[in-house]
Amino acid sequence: MNAPALSPIVLLFAAVFTSNILLSNFLGMCSFISISGNIKSSNGLGIAVILVMTISSAINWFIDRFIMLPLGLGFLSFIVFIMVIAATVQILEMVIERISPALYMALGIFLPLITVNCAILGVVLFIQIRHYTFLQALLFGFGSGVGWWLAILALAAIRAKVDKSPVPSGLKGPGITLITIGLMAMAFLGFSGMLAVQ
Amino acid sequence: MKMSPEDKRASEAMAPGGISREGFFGTDNRPLPDIVQADEEEMRRRGLDFEDVAEMLRRLIKEGGRGFESPVTVDGKWSVTVEEARGLVPCPYRDGCYPKSRVVIVRLDNGLRLLTTDLAVHLCAVHHFLQGRGSPFRMEPELLSQLFA
Amino acid sequence: MPLVIVATLVVSSMSAVLALVIVLVDLVVNNYGEVKIDVNDGAKTLTVKGGSSLLSTLGGEGIFIPSSCGGRATCGVCKVRVASDVGPHLPTELPFMSGAEIKDNIRLSCQIKVKADIKIVIPEELFAIQRHRARVAEIVDLTYDTKLIRFSLLEPAEMKFTSGQFAQIVVPPYERVREETVRAYSFASTPARPNEVEFIVRLVPGGTATTYLHKHLAVGQELAVVGPMGEFRLHDNEAAMICIAGGSGMAPIKSILFDMRERGIGKPAVWYFFGAVSKRDLYLVDLFRELEASWPSFHFVPALSAPLPDDHWDGETGLVTTVTKKYMDEKMDKSAPKEAYLCGSPGMIDASVALLKSEGIPEDKIYYDKFS
Repeated sequence: MNAPALSPIVLLFAAVFTSNILLSNFLGMCSFISISGNIKSSNGLGIAVILVMTISSAINWFIDRFIMLPLGLGFLSFIVFIMVIAATVQILEMVIERISPALYMALGIFLPLITVNCAILGVVLFIQIRHYTFLQALLFGFGSGVGWWLAILALAAIRAKVDKSPVPSGLKGPGITLITIGLMAMAFLGFSGMLAVQ
Repeated sequence: MKMSPEDKRASEAMAPGGISREGFFGTDNRPLPDIVQADEEEMRRRGLDFEDVAEMLRRLIKEGGRGFESPVTVDGKWSVTVEEARGLVPCPYRDGCYPKSRVVIVRLDNGLRLLTTDLAVHLCAVHHFLQGRGSPFRMEPELLSQLFA
Repeated sequence: MPLVIVATLVVSSMSAVLALVIVLVDLVVNNYGEVKIDVNDGAKTLTVKGGSSLLSTLGGEGIFIPSSCGGRATCGVCKVRVASDVGPHLPTELPFMSGAEIKDNIRLSCQIKVKADIKIVIPEELFAIQRHRARVAEIVDLTYDTKLIRFSLLEPAEMKFTSGQFAQIVVPPYERVREETVRAYSFASTPARPNEVEFIVRLVPGGTATTYLHKHLAVGQELAVVGPMGEFRLHDNEAAMICIAGGSGMAPIKSILFDMRERGIGKPAVWYFFGAVSKRDLYLVDLFRELEASWPSFHFVPALSAPLPDDHWDGETGLVTTVTKKYMDEKMDKSAPKEAYLCGSPGMIDASVALLKSEGIPEDKIYYDKFS
């Protein structure tokens, strides 16, 4: 039950590249595929994911460590974590609207979409089962968000190019996108021996 | 597949009672992205380009507008009647406003008829949306190819 | 304590805490308190509850900024100048703004929220705009697709408008239409009867508002009418007057001409060219023939662009612009100063402006109410 002896900085890079939440765990696929058609939206959604992932990693770490673990309620973590994520998104939406209308206009429509993004819940659960320390959890959450953002931007850029290429008509749209994601995942697999996350 | 927020917002605006009373989908209950994708494939199969079709329609509407609601014959091939009502109608994708027009294009030699609007032409050109089946403003790719062949 | 109770307690108290946090944050973040709106440098100061859009806040205070989309950032009509800092332009505003407007801090009032004290500058006329409760007094079929609707104003009971202006009719939600629909129509009546207003409404196939006004509206029913608005009006000078209208563009011209008669305003000559497709699109011909009989300098020229054989039309045939040109060349005094009043579709206005300019009428003497 001890935290892995990993420097949080190493963990940050591992989360971004070697165990990219999207391309090595295939989490958060639905919004990944549906939004990546447009680079601007992808960027907005990516930044929103970074924000929510970092904040909910931190909050859920405290809840797990000081409420769930002592009471032996590990089996409830799915329900509790998703509740916390939903509430975080709600509050974040209200606060952003108040302090920065321009940022709200850019992110606002994406924030509710993130509540049900499984990558967020995935990251929170990884943090729980790998027994990360708080600093590790924070940087892992942030790093996973950055990794997700990088991956969706890369895919959006590739799709912009693919759209202009002669793709067999049966593969147009989601078909070629899934194949592209598969190839990207294989490329990221090359990083996998370099660093470990647990 | 989940719809992007833009598509979702556009779909809501296109529903009956949104921007127009009848909506843009007619009797078609496929999601918006599916309609667009199916029509993109159909247009490609027929060798039609959305922008070219829209350019042609824009020219016909411009010529037809000279008749102030009475039919104008363009290039000896089409009869075009343009009616305009007061006001502008917004694009459901929120990228502009268009005159509330109602354009009837009839090809004189085969009698084929297309009902369209300035907004419908914009939707075709920029968003590749030809409207749902059963909508009075549906631009069936087959009809387009025969209308302009 | 059994685990099941602990678990239930933890989940429910956690939900309660989260809900409480959201409510508290909402109270703090979304409470803007009392906010002052300074209109036209102190001409009017409003104290309002903050948090809503400027457009709806002003509407609640009885100042109606013209808007045709109802706050959805799609029409770009509800522009106001904001003299205090309310942050940079939003992405939803930018498509409607020119560089000069951005520099002037012209904003879409439906997009900016009233969060702190704010200073705005609006045209003086907007103060006169009121929302009237109105009862439908009469509906007359003018043609197969055009109706004249007369409203008696109830509260406030009078509208001080000038001929040529327009008002907005507020159509309530009906059938599958879930929101109020607001549409602008020119007055067809004259200011001499400020307690009654008339509009000419042509059915737009599939149109939300016109379908309601044509198919659902009944005499005795109450609706809201917001006005007056618009700058189309009679100009006081000694020029000969040429009016060109088509379709429901009849309304403001009718209002202006009858207003002139009622107030005894004369012009050296008044020509009214009304364009329609065939005889079934013509209306109020008898009314203008009567006016012609009692007003020697007034001439009414209806023109049909495509009369049907059954029409037995012996009047002018051709596009209204072609007919106007013919009359200007053959019947009017070439050297006399002239001015023009136009109302109709954009296509008709553009063609008319081009014609009138080529006939030597300066552009600033051509007044029009484009359908937009």
